[in-house]
Amino acid sequence: MKCWSDERRVVVTGLGVVCPLGLTLDDLWRSLTQPLHTLSQSVANGAIAGFQGRIDDFGPLTPVARKSLRKALKLMNRATQLGVAAAQRALADSALSSNWYEPHRVGVSFGAGNVSVMPEDFVAGIHACLDEQDQFDFARWGTDGIPKVAPLWMLRCLPNMPACHLSIINDFRGPNNTITQRGAAANLAIAEAFHLICDGDADAMITGACGTALEPFNLLHGRMDNELGEKTGSSSEPCRPFDLRRTGPPPAEAAGALVLEELCSATERGATIYGEIRAAASSCVPARDSFGACQKAMQNALRLTLGQTRIAPENIGHVHAHGLGTRQSDIAEAQAIRRIFGRQADRLPVVAAKGHMGNASAGSGAIEIAGSLLALRRGSLFPVRNYEQPDPDCPVLPVTGDDVAAGTSFLNLNMTAGGVATCLAIEAWAA
Amino acid sequence: MRRRIVVTGVGCVTPIGNEVGTFSDNLLAGRSGIGHLTVFDASRFPVRIAAEVRDWHLQDVGEDPLRWRHCPRQTRFAVGAALQAAQQAEIRDARINPLRMGVYLGCGEPFEEFDAFTSSVCSSLGEAGYQEERFLSCALRLFDPETEREFEPDMPGIHLASILNAQGPNANCIAACASSTQAIGEAARIVRRGEADVMICGGAHSTIHPFGVTGFHRLAALSSNSDPATAARPFDIDRDGFVIGEGAAIFILEELEHARRRGAEILAEVSGYGSSQDAFRVTDVHPQGRGTVAAIERALADARLNPEDIDYINAHGTGTVLNDKVETLALKRVFGSHAYRVPVSSTKSMLGHATTACGAIELAVCLTALRRDAIPPTVNHEKPDPDCDLDYVPRYARELRCTHILSDNIGFGGQNAALVVSRFDEPSRSIAASKQAA
Repeated sequence: MKCWSDERRVVVTGLGVVCPLGLTLDDLWRSLTQPLHTLSQSVANGAIAGFQGRIDDFGPLTPVARKSLRKALKLMNRATQLGVAAAQRALADSALSSNWYEPHRVGVSFGAGNVSVMPEDFVAGIHACLDEQDQFDFARWGTDGIPKVAPLWMLRCLPNMPACHLSIINDFRGPNNTITQRGAAANLAIAEAFHLICDGDADAMITGACGTALEPFNLLHGRMDNELGEKTGSSSEPCRPFDLRRTGPPPAEAAGALVLEELCSATERGATIYGEIRAAASSCVPARDSFGACQKAMQNALRLTLGQTRIAPENIGHVHAHGLGTRQSDIAEAQAIRRIFGRQADRLPVVAAKGHMGNASAGSGAIEIAGSLLALRRGSLFPVRNYEQPDPDCPVLPVTGDDVAAGTSFLNLNMTAGGVATCLAIEAWAA
Repeated sequence: MRRRIVVTGVGCVTPIGNEVGTFSDNLLAGRSGIGHLTVFDASRFPVRIAAEVRDWHLQDVGEDPLRWRHCPRQTRFAVGAALQAAQQAEIRDARINPLRMGVYLGCGEPFEEFDAFTSSVCSSLGEAGYQEERFLSCALRLFDPETEREFEPDMPGIHLASILNAQGPNANCIAACASSTQAIGEAARIVRRGEADVMICGGAHSTIHPFGVTGFHRLAALSSNSDPATAARPFDIDRDGFVIGEGAAIFILEELEHARRRGAEILAEVSGYGSSQDAFRVTDVHPQGRGTVAAIERALADARLNPEDIDYINAHGTGTVLNDKVETLALKRVFGSHAYRVPVSSTKSMLGHATTACGAIELAVCLTALRRDAIPPTVNHEKPDPDCDLDYVPRYARELRCTHILSDNIGFGGQNAALVVSRFDEPSRSIAASKQAA
């Protein structure tokens, strides 16, 4: 097709996922749509059983990428491995050849969460500093402990490592950034990538997010929140978005990635187009322990996003909710959607993939977007897992069957506990 | 028409000054903030010096320290710097639509409390070695939940949004030592594209912590010189690494017409920004500095300036052997013969390396240079290195009226970012712009 307009449009041309629901798009879709009893054990505990951090877990690789990745593997922590794997899978899915764009026209904008210090990295050092009573003697750390820490330890802890490794493996020298807004990071990173292409600073961007709630300090923070009475879930109970019996999401790990390209060059190379990024907006209403603030932040993000898209609210096909499965977050979110869509909320389908896989911090948002993009292509939505007993305080319409139309566009809504809400509008591509 | 972005407020908490006035005085007097490390007992550490924020209290900005007692050092620095900037820009009195005011920070992750960590690891060691469940049950007793909550990477930005009622976009980015440069650049882009009219941006960090010293020492990045007065010596032949620093700088960026309408004092214009990746190695910079070259070229193009238009460069200049050599090479590749005419200095010689916050603090340095018509020196630059043969403004500040200043930063992993900051409404700028347009 010919592009007559000066306006640069941004389309999704590749998707990759690495999550408890699967390592391929087909597996993800199957897990989202299949009945609960057929799900494997790994889904229940939030870990990705099939991902061992071996080179073959990263999907199809060019010989150059394989060589580079093999060298880099030992420098990557778990979240970085997941992020790089999702992105390499998205690149393979996009069938983007390495010489289609100049290296400096391709950038990376990735989302991440809190990176846990790994106690195991310090066991040898601490062991070297034990006194006769087996107590740690700080006075010896400087001389006996430090030399036992791996020289490159610090490089494994940096949240920007997925973006760095991806650039090195694939020779992407364009704009490069990592946003650490936890649960809201995926939408923010994708929004930044979208604007870089719109503004002509890049022609393609690799974007998405990775996260884990399963590493020691992430687990610790989750347990602390539970003790403070803010139920963030445990591994024994499933996540039940918008359900009256909800107990919070179990911790999980996940990464999802998108290849974004400027429309004209994407069509010129014959790329498969999943959808078009239409708008993104965010708002922060500091929200500690406050329904009202959470709701207001989400309303702001929804309203600002709808204002930017040229999609009429009645044409929004579905909303992919944050759907955290906590009382505060679900009620605030449902009320926000109701407030923005009014009576349309009675028939606006809402999905929430956290019901399937729990909460993987930044990684969840990216999987949710991938799930909705697949639904746009297939035409129908997937049910909200574990949603059985509607909560009258959540006046929205969570999807319960597998025959609900996905529509031609969706909003993805995400939120952090601190009060940052982000929203992304994506429209199906009609060639 | 392209929206222009101006600075209407700046605040800083640094090792050489806890507000902009003292900071600027010390900067131009060439006074170093490097001293003996006191934040924890480092007497038996391989590195015992640091550039610490000293004699600063939250009361200085009218805050009750009790309110912030669970926050890590860097969050307090961020709050202090943000309140100074907000006061200068008078944004709290201005009737700014909260939805049109956002926050974008480049704050690094704080380090966990070391005693609680080592105790938890000790109690996790059983017959079979490390056991996660034992670690967690001990950690649950020893770590403070309120403090841990403040360690989440989005918290500093949320606090600033809260105290300054900024309900617009809110983000934190980490791109190693280029983080806060990128935060400021991305904040400028948000204003440029009309998503907000005002952005509170910058960065804060402290790695003066047993984890920080351990990590940087193992990377062989720190100077082994134990004399605080001479250890940080960027571009000097005897340089052997950087000195750990800490601090914060926060800016109020604002769309020009918005600032004019409310009569705000305009301190400078943020005219260009660029980021890039070396795409080389996570451990080393590209030997020809190709990412640094790209970031600077993007920032110049964004500012619609030619290399010759730059009057002063605030370098990343960490003082490691490799960084200073490669950065010099990159500057020569971008600036050609002008590289030998434009003064370049590294203020890390006085400030130490505030890691993710360094770019924001260095933008505050550039504002000082613009406002005081003088450029800060590279202290301890005594013996030239044949690989570093530019004018590094050795030892003493120099009077110079600058119109356009470039600040670049280079981070682990191959991250690069650069900003151009300009004197506001300088006629030569519009001439350059019209030349470009023609």
